[in-house]
Amino acid sequence: MSDDVDHIAPEDEGRVLAAEYVLGVLSAEERRAVEKRIAEESSFAREIADWEDRLGPMASYVTPVTPPAQTWMRIEASLGTPTSTAAVPPATIWQSLAFWRGLGIGASAIAAACVAALVYVGMRPTTLTPRVPLLATLTGLKTNQPNFVAAISTDGRSLTIVPASLLTADKRSMELWLIPEGGKPASLGLIAAGQPVQLNVPPALLPLVGSGATLAVSLEPLGGSPTGQPTGEVIAHGNLSRL
Amino acid sequence: MDADAARSQLAAALVRTGTGDRAALRIVYQDSSAKLFGVLLRILKDRSEAEDVLQDVYVTVWRKAALFNPDRASPITWLVAIARNRAIDRLRSGAMNRRSAPIEEAADLRDVTPGALDMVVKAEQQARLGVCLGELEEKTSQAIRSAFLDGVTYEQLAERMSVPLGTMKSWIRRGLLKLRTCLEA
Repeated sequence: MSDDVDHIAPEDEGRVLAAEYVLGVLSAEERRAVEKRIAEESSFAREIADWEDRLGPMASYVTPVTPPAQTWMRIEASLGTPTSTAAVPPATIWQSLAFWRGLGIGASAIAAACVAALVYVGMRPTTLTPRVPLLATLTGLKTNQPNFVAAISTDGRSLTIVPASLLTADKRSMELWLIPEGGKPASLGLIAAGQPVQLNVPPALLPLVGSGATLAVSLEPLGGSPTGQPTGEVIAHGNLSRL
Repeated sequence: MDADAARSQLAAALVRTGTGDRAALRIVYQDSSAKLFGVLLRILKDRSEAEDVLQDVYVTVWRKAALFNPDRASPITWLVAIARNRAIDRLRSGAMNRRSAPIEEAADLRDVTPGALDMVVKAEQQARLGVCLGELEEKTSQAIRSAFLDGVTYEQLAERMSVPLGTMKSWIRRGLLKLRTCLEA
């Protein structure tokens, strides 16, 4: 930058460069040089983060624009887990409240339908050696009605959970827990009241997945338990078993 | 939901995304995609480019969420930084055949005022930045906002505001240092 008209004090040099990077006024070449420095110099990386924090609120001048619905589907599709969509039935009918209402039958019949569907999807990936997936019907503690049906794939690595009855919308997040016999709950992730959700079972939990383990759903602060353990009311639970 | 709750939800969801939780990424997306899409549209000025970059941004968030530290960064600031960096790199790569922004767009900036309370940006931080930008000379403040919002280079800014390149660099550098002093005060 030979055309400088300013004299930047030497101690401000890194600071100004970081600010210029965050502001976005540098050329592609200069940006690559800055990124190299970020990777190599932690104090410089800190300076960048500070500027992001200082200038970031300018984003509030921008009017939000809702992106098209298919963008999320494209994102999900590019996350790269092979089982992501294959094992979940087409989402629309499962997500449709009208579908559940339209059935006009008891929750247990719905649960039976879910089990049938889950056995089917659970077996699909292993057509050559069909084994029976682990299933659990999670019963509501207050209602004593099935609230969710969960199936764990035959390799134990993924779990699909389907809401079997209509739950009142609650502002809190629903979190699913795996509780091994005599062990502490371990989070499997957040689930939704209105649609089937597929979760990957963390590798560390694989040995704990088996007959006799319990699945439970608790209500947690938005975004999930802050502590890694259930903090809110348990609304449903059930034991895993093989059919 | 108030702003604090919105921010905590977004921070918690980002942390959980870092553990490989897809449902959490979905929450992050639901809470932040409209803001990020707005930011990308403003920089890229092309809907399909902005959609491509938005997809890229959330795939990056999925991979990098484990690096997000809720004690050190505000979640929306962290997300906006990823989105802006992607968009600016796209602009600079020359992959886009970008027309230079018409004068009217630069003029628009004078009318830019802080919007209604932005759910996820800390109101006080936003207000403070507004005050500190207001303390700069009008042209400097305008140049800094234009640079941030439109992702343009020093050269393009100088051209837009019809000043020599050296003058533009000087305005912005001095302005940024003053801004920092004001924000730390």
